[in-house]
Amino acid sequence: MVSAGIGWALATSVVRYTSCKMSFLKGIAAIAKGMSITFREMFQPTQVENYPDGPGPLRGAKFQERYRGVHVLQRDENGLEKCVACFLCAAACPANCIYIEAAENTSAHRVSGAERYARVYNIDYNRCIFCAYCVEACPTDAITHGHGFEIAAFNATNLIFRKEQLLAAKPGHLGANAVFNQVEVAGGAALPVPGS
Amino acid sequence: MADVNLTIDGKKVTAPAGTLLIEAAKSAGIEVPSFCYYPNLSLQGACRMCLVKIEKMPKLQTACTTVISEGMMVTTDSDEVRQARKGMIELLLGNHPLDCPVCDAGGECELQDMTFSYGAAESRFIDVKNHRDEQQWSPVVYFDRPRCILCYRCVRVCGEGMDVWALGVQHRGVSSTIVPNQEDHLECEECGMCIDICPVGALTSGAYRYKTRPWEMKHVGTTCTHCADGCKTTLGVRRCSTGTELVRGDNRDKSGINGDFLCIKGRYGFDFAHHEDRLHQPLIRRNGRLTPCTWEEAFQLTGERLRQIRDREGGDAIAVIGSTRTTNEENYLLQKFARTVLGTNHIDHHRTADYPALVAALAGHPKLTASMRELFEAPAMLLIGNDPTRQHPLLAWQIRNNVRLHRARLYLVNAQPIKLRRQASSFFAIPAGREAEVAAFLAGQDSAVAAIASETSPEAWIRWRDQLRREPKLVVMFGSEIRGDAVASLIKFAADLPEAKLICLGDYANSRGAADMGLYPDLLPGYHPVTEVGEFHKDWGGVPEKPGLSLRQMAEHAQAGKLKALYVVGANPVEELGLDPFVFSQSFVVVEDLFLTETAAIADVVLPAANAYEKSGTFTNTCGDLQLVKKAGEVTGTKSDFEIIVRIADAMGVAVRKLVPFGRGSRADMGQSRGAQSGEADRHSVWLEARGLEPKMSPFDPMAILDEIQRLVPGYDVSRLHLLAGMDQHTSLSGSGPGTKHDPSAIMPARDDLFSSGTLGRYCRTLNAVLENGHKLAAEEEVAAE
Repeated sequence: MVSAGIGWALATSVVRYTSCKMSFLKGIAAIAKGMSITFREMFQPTQVENYPDGPGPLRGAKFQERYRGVHVLQRDENGLEKCVACFLCAAACPANCIYIEAAENTSAHRVSGAERYARVYNIDYNRCIFCAYCVEACPTDAITHGHGFEIAAFNATNLIFRKEQLLAAKPGHLGANAVFNQVEVAGGAALPVPGS
Repeated sequence: MADVNLTIDGKKVTAPAGTLLIEAAKSAGIEVPSFCYYPNLSLQGACRMCLVKIEKMPKLQTACTTVISEGMMVTTDSDEVRQARKGMIELLLGNHPLDCPVCDAGGECELQDMTFSYGAAESRFIDVKNHRDEQQWSPVVYFDRPRCILCYRCVRVCGEGMDVWALGVQHRGVSSTIVPNQEDHLECEECGMCIDICPVGALTSGAYRYKTRPWEMKHVGTTCTHCADGCKTTLGVRRCSTGTELVRGDNRDKSGINGDFLCIKGRYGFDFAHHEDRLHQPLIRRNGRLTPCTWEEAFQLTGERLRQIRDREGGDAIAVIGSTRTTNEENYLLQKFARTVLGTNHIDHHRTADYPALVAALAGHPKLTASMRELFEAPAMLLIGNDPTRQHPLLAWQIRNNVRLHRARLYLVNAQPIKLRRQASSFFAIPAGREAEVAAFLAGQDSAVAAIASETSPEAWIRWRDQLRREPKLVVMFGSEIRGDAVASLIKFAADLPEAKLICLGDYANSRGAADMGLYPDLLPGYHPVTEVGEFHKDWGGVPEKPGLSLRQMAEHAQAGKLKALYVVGANPVEELGLDPFVFSQSFVVVEDLFLTETAAIADVVLPAANAYEKSGTFTNTCGDLQLVKKAGEVTGTKSDFEIIVRIADAMGVAVRKLVPFGRGSRADMGQSRGAQSGEADRHSVWLEARGLEPKMSPFDPMAILDEIQRLVPGYDVSRLHLLAGMDQHTSLSGSGPGTKHDPSAIMPARDDLFSSGTLGRYCRTLNAVLENGHKLAAEEEVAAE
């Protein structure tokens, strides 16, 4: 038993001595390899997005199509609001952040395509978790996630967005992203861009 | 009836012979779906959703029209049955629009539920749906024809249940359609029962449509604040930018004494709460003008002045007018405040029925009053005077359906050809104002017949009386036409019948409660005379023993310059009773009301009060059924009458604990331990309040006064458990004080009709819309009774 223990200790000390020398060389090799990438990239064109100094309303930010940003309330091909105030989004919302007041369309004052429209439609971005359950619940495809992301604010009350802030400026067949990218079209900003 | 044994889905079921299969299955806990079947309405067999397999029958049978028989073997859930139901749903959805997101019924639609249960999500119909535009039939009823599934529930409830027959079916087969009685609009009682009973969104309410969705509301079942019948109405409450808003009233909770029934006032008469004329700030008269002030100023001024007047002039210079629409607790507190703090017996209310005479005559016959539920079971009913169809819609419903379903006998005596005569087994017309003679004649005074036998011979009257004397379980109902001695005569007649019972018809939601709680100048709660020392004198430590002044005498007292202060709670004597407002010009007048009424306009201090839908407490209906009032809505700037009375007492420097025995309850979690989430603590206290479960820690807690009422007022010692659980509890008048005889002319019946309701009715947008629409009731001659 004792001789076996001495033999094991001897063997490990030999290994330790040789690996110390080896790791020194290995370290140099690794640094060289790493720095080679660094030096190579130094002469490549810049890949980082130029946010916030880029062009356009996104100021250089780029998104995947599926990105879930500030909601957009869509319009139909006639320019009427798609939302019929069915409250299903509010019912589906796990954060309970959607507040709606419904009202009836009249021939003199027609807002949506159906009998009812949302007179008030608020989303509380203090609470919203961008889960898209509302989008999934919407029977008329009225609510979608846009690509708005600059919603940080110094005052929490500014994070309750009203319908006017959420509403798409143009008929919905353009798609949410197209609408978002066309802020400059007549009718005003589709989305607020705080700080800009 | 003999019991029948049968097997449903392998379960052995026993039910009385004659039971319908669908009901037998329900009693065994097996649900058979149906649209057209509705309990207590005639059978239709239209929707064919209740198809079940019965052994030895070649085809599936409709459970709603099949009567059970011995040894029946029934299967309610098999592939064949499910397939049949799925097929029916698919056909029903053939032309049903897919506008559930917009439809008002979405979320509480029976067709939606059935489609989920029996799945016909995919349709094989590819044709364009046959669209028809929505029609407005009246200010409150809209009809969307494509949504209708032709179950005919509306037609039957309107005809059989309401005896209005305003809805019918036009055309046959696939082109059948529900139509109103006036081609394109309805002329009816606007009760809205058709809307409630519609299983889909074909009939929708003009007051509620497109406002919100059913799951967005909190549903609070409370007691209606309009007529004296005490229906349970379920108020849909929603948060809104100004607090909580009442969005609709309906009959979702069918546990009340009204069962399926609700009239126009119970269903639509809540919108006065959000009328723009509603007061939100106390007003004080400064330089002759009513100007807004803070609550503190108002309480300070009122307390100060009332104390000065009491100390200088004595209680005789102060008078109090109570309300018929405040809760029992508030009425009790008000008269206790008047008697113990102000030291006056000058307290009265708008009397609409002679309850003290009833109590006086009932002495010695303890169980002689009928509850609203008992009326529905009574084998025979006698109604003298009144027109329940217009003034007591629930009473009329109970009478009608008792006749229809239980073949009860209805004896009518009236000066007008009232609509209920169509249900009556005998109708005797009398000259107007001769109701007292009918009572005297019934009591055995044969000479009285001369005055009433104008259209019917004296012999017929005598035969009629003999017939009535053979009705052991007669329920006698009488309106305000019968007062004073006439009440005594009627009771003399009823006491001779072994199990006869009485209902005295008052007019407002808590008219009976106001009387029971002693809003009389000479009577304490429980009709105990102020002149006799009793429990109240001991408990309260002294009550002035000289009877006070009635309403009219108060006005005379004021005219003579002896009335220095008048305190009016929830009443409008200037308008309703025609009191001359100028006689009070020398008095300090305090008015608590929802609106700036004619009476409030002459006040020195106006205090904006909460209405019955914004506070908790109890109401007693005209039969004596005690029911809970639950808090549903909230309007900023108002306070409940209870709180106002307590605050005034406090401002007068009274030890409030003597007035409201609070603080004896246990400690309770007010929600603070539930985390700091916004509104959580608040919501918890609202929850407690809505259920009348305040932990009696506050001086504004009506439950503390309810304790005292139950302890001291005879007949009110009912089960607190059942009361708080939302059930009606009949208060018997046994043990009540001896009552008294009042001047019969002090009774002023309300001038309300089906679409009006005193001060509140004037501010109900929906009721006014119906009135402005020039609404006539369905002309009775045109519609044939069943």
